[in-house]
Parts: sequence; structure tokens; C-alpha cells
Amino acid sequence: MKTTLAALKKGQKATITDFNIDAIPLKLLEMGCLPGNVVELLQIAPLGDPLYINVNDSHVAIRRETALEIDVELLDVASL
Amino acid sequence: MDIQSIIAYILVAGAAAFLVKKIFFKKKKKKDCGDCGCN
Amino acid sequence: MAGSLKIALIGNPNTGKTSVFNHLTGLNQQVGNYPGITVERKTGSCKLPGIVKGNIIDLPGTYSLNASSMDENVVIELLLNKTDKDYPDVAVVVTDVENLKRNLLLFTQIKDLEIPTILAINMADRMDKKGISLDIPYLESRLNTKIALISSRKGTGIADLKELIVNYKSLSTEPCLHASSIDPDYFNKLRKAFPNELLYKLWLLISQDANFGLSHKTELMGTSFTKTRADLKRLQQKETIKRYQFINDVLKVGQVIDTSKAKDLRARLDRVLTHKIFGYVIFLGILMLIFQSIFSWSELPMGLIEEGTAWLSNFVLGNMAPGKLSDLLANGVIAGIGGVVIFIPQIAFLFLFISLLEESGYMSRVVFLMDRLMKPFGLSGKSVVPLISGTACAIPAIMAARNIENWRERLITILVTPFTTCSARLPVYIILISLIIPETKLAGIFSLQGLTLMALYLLGFLGAILSAWILNKILDAKHKSFFVAEMPNYKLPLLKNVGLNVLEKTKAFVYGAGKIILALSIIIWFLGSHGPGDNFSNAEEIVKGQQRPLNPEELDDAVAAYQLEHSYIGIMGKTIEPVIRPLGYDWKIGVAIVSSFAAREVFVGTLATIYNIGSTDNEVTIRERMDSEIDPITGKKVFNFATGISLLLFYAFAMQCISTLAITKKETNSWKWPLIQLFGMSAFAYVVSLIAYQLLK
Repeated sequence: MKTTLAALKKGQKATITDFNIDAIPLKLLEMGCLPGNVVELLQIAPLGDPLYINVNDSHVAIRRETALEIDVELLDVASL
Repeated sequence: MDIQSIIAYILVAGAAAFLVKKIFFKKKKKKDCGDCGCN
Repeated sequence: MAGSLKIALIGNPNTGKTSVFNHLTGLNQQVGNYPGITVERKTGSCKLPGIVKGNIIDLPGTYSLNASSMDENVVIELLLNKTDKDYPDVAVVVTDVENLKRNLLLFTQIKDLEIPTILAINMADRMDKKGISLDIPYLESRLNTKIALISSRKGTGIADLKELIVNYKSLSTEPCLHASSIDPDYFNKLRKAFPNELLYKLWLLISQDANFGLSHKTELMGTSFTKTRADLKRLQQKETIKRYQFINDVLKVGQVIDTSKAKDLRARLDRVLTHKIFGYVIFLGILMLIFQSIFSWSELPMGLIEEGTAWLSNFVLGNMAPGKLSDLLANGVIAGIGGVVIFIPQIAFLFLFISLLEESGYMSRVVFLMDRLMKPFGLSGKSVVPLISGTACAIPAIMAARNIENWRERLITILVTPFTTCSARLPVYIILISLIIPETKLAGIFSLQGLTLMALYLLGFLGAILSAWILNKILDAKHKSFFVAEMPNYKLPLLKNVGLNVLEKTKAFVYGAGKIILALSIIIWFLGSHGPGDNFSNAEEIVKGQQRPLNPEELDDAVAAYQLEHSYIGIMGKTIEPVIRPLGYDWKIGVAIVSSFAAREVFVGTLATIYNIGSTDNEVTIRERMDSEIDPITGKKVFNFATGISLLLFYAFAMQCISTLAITKKETNSWKWPLIQLFGMSAFAYVVSLIAYQLLK
């Protein structure tokens, strides 16, 4: 199921399919947020922002506005 | 003026000179690095 | 220095790079600033095998040579400039064995600059717990480097690292990734145009904003080689992908992780510490602990320092012939030094906690919890610690802003922290409240006086938040700031690191701000103990002639009062009287305000001196005296309700602390900001107090 990173629920994993390159900092790409990599949503801060994710073994926090620009494909439990 | 006063005034002048130097000397060293393309 | 080896320590943040640096240099460290900017420059020396001396520079942590902050810029500027005096003979890239994949990105970039590079894999002591095993020879051959497996926590592997450093000439300078594979066409053209330069180096020049002091930059600009930002980013993305492909390939064989062995402490701790409710509760608890330590635990050492200063003063006065110098030494120099040293306990405690929070990894969780609240005000999640600490004292609080990476967020934090109610304001608040607020209790429980005090604290916070909001609007943000914050592994803080950090911060304050504070104290002494004409020097005779015979103590007090009135400070106070009359103050209050610039709490003591009771310490006496003071012009009490409120507001908002100005100057590397603080805050305080007095009188 295609969706954005921002729409994931806590604990869900997804594969990154695409993103809006002008809206994502290079730093995030260098952390490993690249198409094909798996991203897991670990925590959401109380006000919905920022999001705490694990991608490419990098544990990072990003703002919701950034997460909205990252398209992902949900991994269903069976394929994990 | 006795010796004490002389020394005291020298110290005061020294303190003043130090502060003046601190204010104006810094400007010479500062490159315009506020625009290093950061953040 | 000829004969010493120049070594650069580079690496991602949170790899223990600082610990490695500390292991190599011990106490032989120096911290300064890079010229013109506020990035810390950390260097040190170490002894290497074979009587070789090593000069190590600990570069700011960065994830990649593609810089996104002033800190990271420093790294790339150094590594691209062979003529820089710090340009290394050998680079040591420090990596964390648990994050090898990402850490190697930077490593491959540095390799491509053809600098002899050693790969230091740190935290080796955690390999077992995480089920990680490495094929070192394989990795060394694929990465074209030599590897030192170290544990900065246990202290192992450092000797091996030193051996590798000393033998740096035997390191290969073959790059890992050939830059041209990013876009063969483009790079071939580049190679033809600049055959003598490293392709990767040229690429960095083109894609970065940094100012390298190299001539090629201007040649490259305006040629067919420049590209749009968007295109550059796409190429950078390609480069990143290619590098990770290489790294993944290497690690597939070189690193084996047995996930069944891995225990994930981070996940378990994060579940609690970033929890919707518990996260904040725990954070609040920690904040209160910090506050408690700077407020009450510091009291004892501060009291001792105060006594020591007083004793030293008296010693000088007792053992030197009375004269200008002895007065200067006792009341100017020693008081000035005492005024610096007295901050040390608070600074030490604050940085003890901050170091523990940073070293353990918890600070990043603070950022995560607070970012949403702080962002609209241009502040960082990390700004909370300085803001809270400011309620004890702004000086250590402003220093604490150093761990905020974004310069703009850091600047705003530094500028607004002094608004929070610091402990120096308390003596002023307490005596004024006791004079103008009745002792009644609201609903029989809430003391009106207590509520007023709380209201003042609240005003301080609001002042800070509001000015942050305003500054956020007017300070221009050069580029859109992206937020990407790493959540590192939790680690037990290394006491050695914490200790060195506390020591370094204390030294920085004492030598940096301390010199300025001392100089200013001497000037203030001069202004307070000299006056134009003969009035000041003949004070004693004049007073004796003016008044009925006084006993020795009364005479001393009267002389002191007369002298203060006719000193330069007194004249300043009288001169500003027309300006402060609309606020409800007379010239005596004016003098007290001017004196408060040395330190706010001096207000009460100065008033006492003016009212001829300078030799008494008794608060009740001072209070009664203030209460009975009548203004000759209005015929009413000087400390009436309107004046009192106006004064309270003035002290809440005015910038009246030379130590704060000194530390702001040091932390922002310029006089511009402290002066803005001085005039901005004081102007604001003036207006607010004016309105208050005119409305209430």
C-alpha cells in the first residue's frame, strides 16, 4: 500500500519508494534515507511532531513536514 | 601624588586600555564569515 | 612546529571521537575559536612512539563532507586547503562499530581526497553484546586503509592507533570511489579542464557554498561547469547512493551481525523516555534537579568564596598602608576577582549535568520532546536547559547554549535567557515587595507577597518567550533550516570526559569573561571612589562642618554617603534624574541603579550607603529606613506603590549585569550582541516602568 512516511503508525515498517528531492535535506539522504531502504517509525512526539524513525540503522528524528515528502510502500507483516 | 596613587591610576588606565583594545581589535580579526553558507 | 606530525580527528557525532581525543591528549588540550566564527577549535598534543610529537586537531563531528552547518563547514574548509597550517599529514576517521554503515560514508569521502587515512573503529567493547564480528584484513584491503580496533571506554587499542599514526607514510592514498562514476561525462570534462586537481576536490568546490581561499573557485564560477542547486543535489544524491552501494558491498562480507545476540537497550529506554507522558515527567524531574543544584547546592561553596573574598580584602586593608592602591586592591581588584570566582560552583554544576545528559545520549531525546514547542520561537529543543538554568544565573546558562548546533537558534537562546528571573534579582524583589505589598493572604492561604514574586518569575519567562518570538521574525534565516537529529545509542557517561568538559568550561569562563569583568570592576571602582573638584576628597571635613557632632560609626556612614553622592557614579545618578523622574525614581535610586550594573544585588547595599546606614547589614533596618524616606518634592514616600511596581518591572527587564554582557560577548564573539542586549532590554524596561508608574501614581 502506497503512502507517505508521515502517515505511518507507530511500529510500522515500510520501504522507501520515492521522495521530493528539493524538500529533503541532503543530510537525511546521507543518513541512509534512500529509495529501496526500509524505514521503521519508532515514536511520534506528543504533538505529532517530530517523528522518530529508524532507517539504514540510523536512528533519527525528523519533522512531519519532511516526512510528508517521502513516499513509502507499507511492508505487510508476512513479508518481514 | 604618592606612590600608591600613581600605581593605582596606572592600573585603572591599563584596565581602560584593555577594554578599548578588546572592542576595536576584534573588528580587525573578523572575516566576514557570517555568510559561510551555513544553516 | 617542525618535526611534529599533524593529525586530524574526524568522524560522525556520537562515535566517541572526543574520548579518543582525550585518550590521546589527556590534559594537553587547548580550546579556542576559529577566527571570525563561533565554532570551537580543539587542539592538543600527544607523544607518539619513537619520540615523535603529534599535534592533533579534533574537528567538529560531521556526517559528510557536504556541509550543512558552520561546524561542518570548518571540516571541509580545512581538508580542501593544503596551505592551511592545520592541514593534516594523516587523518583518523573515528567510527562506531554499531553504526559502521553510515559512518563509512564520511570515510569514503575523506579517502577520495587522497589524504593518508586511518580507520578507527571505536566501541569495540560492544561487539560481543551486539553479536558483531568483523573481518579486519578483508576490510583493510577493500577500503585501502589500516584499521585500529579501539574501545575508548576501556582504553584498548589506543597504542595500536598511535603505531598506525606514526607509520602513516605506509598508508595507501587510493580513493575508494572514483568521483567520475557519479557522472562520467561531466567529470571527464572537468578532468580535461583542470588536469592537475583531484576530481573529487573540484566536485566539492562546485557543490559547496564554502569559501576556500583557493583560486579555482572563482575560475569555476561562471564557467560551463556550474550547475543549478537542483542539479547539484541530484548529483549529490547519486554520489550518496553510489557510496552506499560500495559500503554495503564491503560490509556484506566484512561484517557479520548475529541478531539473535543483540540486546536492544536503546529501544527499551526510548519507549519510556520519549513517552507521551512519562517522557515529559522525567524531563521535568531532571530540569528541577539541575535547577536545584545550581540554586541550593552552590550556596555553600558560594558562601565560602564570599567569605574568602571579604577576608582577603580585609587582609590587604589591614596590612597595607592606607592609600589609593590598597583601596583599589581591596575593593576593586579583589572584589572583581571574587565576582568572577563566585560563578565557578554554578558553572561547574550546570556543566556536570549537561555533560552527563549529552554523553549518555539523553539530550537528543530532549530535543525530540521539546522541538515542537520551541520551534515557533526560533529556539531549539536544547534551549530549555539554558532557559531553566537562567533562573539561577544567566552566566552558566548562556554558556550552556553552546551545545545548540544551529547558530541562529543558539543566538536567540543567548539573547533571551537574561530575561528569566535570576537569583541576583531576588534581594531587590524581596525588599521592594515587603515595602509595597501588604502581608494579606488571599483566601486565607495564598500570600499576596508570594504571589507577586511568582508573577515576577512568570513575567521573566514571558519576556524571554516574547522576545524570542520577535527575534525569530526579524533575524533573517539564511537558508531554510532542515531538522534531522540523530538519536544515538544510550551510553554510560565516561567520567573522564565529563570531568575534562567541566574543567574546560570553567577555564573558558574564568580566563575569557573573567578578564573583562575584572577590567570593568576596576573602572567601576574608580568611578565610585573619585569625584570632580574637592567635594569628594574633602568629604570628611565637609561632613563634620555640616552636621552636629557624630560618633565614629555615624561619621563613617555620613562620609560614605557624601562621597558616594559626589563621586562620578553619584553624578551619573543625579544626571539621569530628569530621565528617571517619570518612572517615579529620585536621584538616590538613580545612583543605586547605576551601581547595579556591577551586579544587581548591589542595589540594596548602595541604597543603604546613601541613606547613611552603609555600615549595617541588618535587612530590617534598611527596610525601615527605606520606608521612612520622604521625597522633598512630592512630600510623599519615595517607596510608594507606584514607584515600587515600576522598580520591580525595571529590574525584571533591564540588562544590568556586566558579567552577562561579558559572557555574551565571549559566546557570540562580538560586541554587537551584548550591546543590543544592553540597549534593547534597558529601553524596553524603561518604557514598561514608565507606563506602570504613570498609570499607578
